[in-house]
Amino acid sequence: MALLTDEPTFDRPIPGQSLTAELGGRPWQSPPQYSNIDEVMDFYMERMSSEEFMMQAIDILEMGVPVTTLANTIQMANVMEGVHTLDVSMLALPLIMEMLMLLGDSENIEYDTGLEDKNPKTRDTLLTKLALQYQDVIDEADLTPNVDAGEAEEDTQEEVNEEPSGLMARRD
Amino acid sequence: MLNKSNPAAAAYLRMDIENLSDDKPEKKGTGLLRKPSSVKSSGLDLSNPAVRVGKQMQVIRNYRNKINGTSD
Repeated sequence: MALLTDEPTFDRPIPGQSLTAELGGRPWQSPPQYSNIDEVMDFYMERMSSEEFMMQAIDILEMGVPVTTLANTIQMANVMEGVHTLDVSMLALPLIMEMLMLLGDSENIEYDTGLEDKNPKTRDTLLTKLALQYQDVIDEADLTPNVDAGEAEEDTQEEVNEEPSGLMARRD
Repeated sequence: MLNKSNPAAAAYLRMDIENLSDDKPEKKGTGLLRKPSSVKSSGLDLSNPAVRVGKQMQVIRNYRNKINGTSD
């Protein structure tokens, strides 16, 4: 249980160590292997059609890992390996997901797409609860104005006949 | 709850492949040097990479629908 000891650990990277690699020394700092979406789509279609990939992907989907998470991991790994850039991978993501779902469907697996909102919070909010609680009262309440029609007409006529009295008012 | 650090869900949901847009139809030339229109244009703007991805997805989606028995 190394985490519970008070001993300092010295085998961690020092701050800024990630910036000490030579520029261009990392795969994602050099030009990508495939630069446009057509090449990237071909790359994924070929890669994902291989038997080895299919078996691994099916195992992971069966474990309950959402398709969104798996697709994101795949594209991130390829960006880090310098296969394509991050912006191209954003375009390729839906295609990767569709392919993974096709794999799941063809193997008849109950997989999690990761697209559903499992914990909708709106029902739990106080406002929603209050609105539901008082919905019957609001529906039954008579909200029509209870004013005499004759009085209302007189009021409006008085307002219209009122003469302007300001400094800029027109004089006859 | 959708994971906000994962762009996959948003990217997938925004890809509306059922209604692939045909907002930029191919211009038809009228001059003598115009390209012969041997291939009938689908009306899709295939210069847009997202449309090309959408077309590819459509093929896979149709195949999925066939497998699931939900095709028209």
